[in-house]
Amino acid sequence: MQKTWRSHLLLAYSLVILAFLYLPLLILALYSFNESRINAVWTGFTLDWYKTLFQNRRVLEALMNSLFIAIISTVVSTVLGTIAAIALNRYQYKCKPVINGLLYLPILIPEIVMGLSLLVLFAQTQVPLGKTTLILAHITFCLSFVVITVNARLEGMRHELEQAAMDLYATPLQTFRYVTLPLAMPGIVAGALIAFTLSIDDFIISFFVAGPNSTTLPLYIYAMVKRGISPEINALSTLLMCATISLVVIAQILQPQHSSKNND
Amino acid sequence: MKKLLVFLVSVLTMALLAAGCGGDADKKDAAAGEQQVLNLFSWADNFDPEVIAEFEKQYNCKVNYDVFANNEELLAKIQAGGAQYDLIQPSDYMVATMLKLDLLEKMNMDNIPNAKNLVSTLQAPVYDPTGDHSLVYTWGITGIAYNKNYVKDVPDSWEDLWNPEYAGRLILLNDSRETIGMALKKNGFSNNSTDPAEVEKAFQDLKALAPNVLAFDTDTIKQKFIAEEAWIGTMWTGDASYTLKDNPNIGFVVPKEGATIWADTFAIPKGAKHKELAEKFINFIYDPQISAKNYEYIGYNDPNEKAQEFHSDEFKNDPMLKIGMENIDKGEWLIDIGEALPMYDRYWTELKTAK
Repeated sequence: MQKTWRSHLLLAYSLVILAFLYLPLLILALYSFNESRINAVWTGFTLDWYKTLFQNRRVLEALMNSLFIAIISTVVSTVLGTIAAIALNRYQYKCKPVINGLLYLPILIPEIVMGLSLLVLFAQTQVPLGKTTLILAHITFCLSFVVITVNARLEGMRHELEQAAMDLYATPLQTFRYVTLPLAMPGIVAGALIAFTLSIDDFIISFFVAGPNSTTLPLYIYAMVKRGISPEINALSTLLMCATISLVVIAQILQPQHSSKNND
Repeated sequence: MKKLLVFLVSVLTMALLAAGCGGDADKKDAAAGEQQVLNLFSWADNFDPEVIAEFEKQYNCKVNYDVFANNEELLAKIQAGGAQYDLIQPSDYMVATMLKLDLLEKMNMDNIPNAKNLVSTLQAPVYDPTGDHSLVYTWGITGIAYNKNYVKDVPDSWEDLWNPEYAGRLILLNDSRETIGMALKKNGFSNNSTDPAEVEKAFQDLKALAPNVLAFDTDTIKQKFIAEEAWIGTMWTGDASYTLKDNPNIGFVVPKEGATIWADTFAIPKGAKHKELAEKFINFIYDPQISAKNYEYIGYNDPNEKAQEFHSDEFKNDPMLKIGMENIDKGEWLIDIGEALPMYDRYWTELKTAK
């Protein structure tokens, strides 16, 4: 009896927490289908805001900028991050904890501090602000996340398979190509997806280092809000949210499936 | 495993494709050679997209339109250097600040003959006395918006905001200079007063009003009036015009004591690479026919005198914009008050915490 009472309470508590997390997002999405220009009252269902969104050249430009920057930074940070993680995992050296700590640091540093320091750096070195600086900045903060994700995968990996491959006269390169890399792949994909999501969503750091012709979607949404909140912003945010959620779901689906297969 | 590889390869191809596209665009730019770029840094949704497209066609150039959300952000970006914008849109007081910091280029008026079309009152405003570092693009005036269903006596003075009948239904702008300036005006002082006694009087009046205030709000003020949460409050002409379209009961007056006037301008930052193209763009926007099209889209008062004949009747008869235009002489610009600013800030903090 007591147990059911407790589990009911737990269920209610969980639901409240979930509602607290997702209700604002749901309402935001709901009002993107509202006919009225004003968020205050519901007047009827429409898809017009999505239509106007896709006819808006500025929105499409911002979307292209976001995708371009996210794809480049994801590819670069995934390659660099994977290499770094493998090296960190494989070799023992004196300052390992220090290096590890340094890699974690960008995750802990307040974004605003990182954005500002990057802006100062670019200003000092006279790098013109624009897509280049955005990509550099995004690689910088994505890198740590990739290293950590890949590293976690490598930590959980047994070294017997690599040793067996070497016993069978595989060269180090072959071992890496046919054994290590496939085993680490779920971690690498997860890292890449995290990097992509972070880059697409980033506002604060982008805010500091954006220049001509590099307005990304989050920057555009922010500037639109100042103009008065219209359902167009809701529609745009809903799309951005859906994209992010589906990426996270893909990352979740990919990981357990393949890790179990690989462990067999 | 295979699925994974396919996924990875497709991601990579996408990346390469995107990179390839980028490269192509660069090449195209180089091939066209002549095609210039205008880097415009402005508020979001501040131009009719068709007008910009027409400019691009006519001058064989590309307009990069990047956006900022407030003046301070703009100032930071310009001060940091590095960002090579050719044309920016600071508000009135920011023009004064940027002039003081020597961040603005003097415009070559020979390239902007259409600037003469501007309403004379807006031609050499106090924040830019010579009138050759900035040109007014959009402007508005602060007045009283009210809902005719609840506010029976048409207000004509700031004093009317203090009417106890509107307790809990009153909105004031969430801006220290605007709101303290309003209370100063109510007492017959300048909205730029630096006299401690005058500002103190304004503050005491506002403090007495604070319990009646529903919200200090700027960003969602239109929604509050349309949903009739708010009955009366301070509002800009442009917002009033927007609100009226969604709620026909909204009225608007510029009180007899006078009010604050504001403008967003065109200005060219120091070191702009495409200064001449920027000037051509400004001139293009002030062309009477283009101007008529552009301002109908953005829904603000058209400062272009010659454009009036090209406007639709609906725009010409917009009651709110009309009220703004008729009262333009009642407006007083906010200027830099220097040493007095901390005093304003202190009073403002006290007001908002008292609320």
